[in-house]
Amino acid sequence: MPRIKVKVDEDLCIGAASCVTIAPDTFQMNNENKAYVLDHGTEPDGSKYERWMEVTEAQMENILLGAQSCPTLAVYIYDEAGKQLFPDM
Amino acid sequence: MHYVIIGGGIAGTTAAEELRKLDPDSEITLISEEYHALYSRVLLPHYIKGKIPRERVFLKKSGGAGSGSAGESWYEEQKIEWLTGEIVLRVDTKNKFVELLSGREVEYDKLLIASGVEVKLMEQDLPGLSYLRTLDDADHLVELLRALPKDAKVGIYGGGFIASEYLNIFHEANLQTTIAYRGSHMWSRGLSKEAGELIKNQLVQSGIVVLENAKEIEFLGDKKIEAFLTNGQTHPCDLMGLGVGVAPHFSFLKDSGIEVNQGIIANQFLETNVQDIFVAGDVAEYFDERYGRHLHVASWMNAQMQGRCVAKNMFGEKVSFDLVSSYAMDIVGIDVIFIGDVSRSDADETKMIGSVNDGGVTEFFIRKNQIVGAILVGRNGDRKAVTELIRQKATGAEVEALLV
Repeated sequence: MPRIKVKVDEDLCIGAASCVTIAPDTFQMNNENKAYVLDHGTEPDGSKYERWMEVTEAQMENILLGAQSCPTLAVYIYDEAGKQLFPDM
Repeated sequence: MHYVIIGGGIAGTTAAEELRKLDPDSEITLISEEYHALYSRVLLPHYIKGKIPRERVFLKKSGGAGSGSAGESWYEEQKIEWLTGEIVLRVDTKNKFVELLSGREVEYDKLLIASGVEVKLMEQDLPGLSYLRTLDDADHLVELLRALPKDAKVGIYGGGFIASEYLNIFHEANLQTTIAYRGSHMWSRGLSKEAGELIKNQLVQSGIVVLENAKEIEFLGDKKIEAFLTNGQTHPCDLMGLGVGVAPHFSFLKDSGIEVNQGIIANQFLETNVQDIFVAGDVAEYFDERYGRHLHVASWMNAQMQGRCVAKNMFGEKVSFDLVSSYAMDIVGIDVIFIGDVSRSDADETKMIGSVNDGGVTEFFIRKNQIVGAILVGRNGDRKAVTELIRQKATGAEVEALLV
């Protein structure tokens, strides 16, 4: 299973919550109305704006859709080697 | 199969991208009034405030090095015929073609109308007046802000989303700001008195001058705006942001036989009453099964999700559009979140939690004993639970339980 890092740039996030709508297991909103990152619905070590996780190809596809739906492109996805997968460089 | 799409915004472009995935050998034509490659309107305020460089607003990046940084070559890579700067004159639904101002006629097998909304303009025009919808508008505002004199005074006319964007932009730039709106508070038809009061308090605390019930306004100035006049008082002003509303753009459908109301009428599959013609995004007034009525929603999330859904339906699948959409914004420090169907006139009743004294209110909209929407002002913490209640079609009684 691919291992990826998912990160939300809290300065760019405006709380549109489209990522939460598409991938609720990976994104939720906090009380600041910013999206934060979950690992398959869980929050080991508490609420975080970035997190490593292992995902299936199908899950990966859905997280990517969530990131693409962000109107401010505030969601970043990196592969295991640290290469930015989204947004495209 | 030739798919033709009117509108190069997020709904139309998402549909084009999705159609290309579903139907690799089809012909796709995307007709855009603007010359820019797809960009995020939601990012425009970030760009104006200088938080991101201009090139970041463009959403489609191209593969090859040296390719257009604004994403122009993306269309070619996707084999999408991209017509820019084209105005649609009319749609001939009998002979199945779209007539353009340039004289060209584009034949279609299936047509998507995703023409969005147009900004309502004021009668008066004067340098120093700003509208905010397109990237060109944003560039214009950046220039106006740069040219402001020291100790400049700025004004805003309007009480909705665009006015709120101006509030944030001017507040961020530390400008002396006066806002005037027609109603007794912001979103006077949409928000409760309590929610309006909370927002007003936040504005006043932020040093913004608020003028209510400003039904009429006049802009004064010779070569450029110098002041505005409302309710008998003159207010000096070097720049004026205008946000007096938008209207769905479908004037080119006159005599086409396509049914329109506030927007273009569609069923839950985003099909219009005319065969092979579909609609998506801000221009659509679609039947929402969850709420049991036609909805007109103008938001980024809604437009993008409809673009994705309509492509499937154009391809021949039958997929109902189902989304509990929301729109959230921070207005100089207070969060306002609209979730689901928040039409006051369509609700049977509303119920409120919180108070002005507590610093936040959440108001639920209930129809036929089902929670259909909510507006949260200064109560972000309710968002997850409220969205879930709407999604699960919870009853009014379940709100009662929350209220205790």
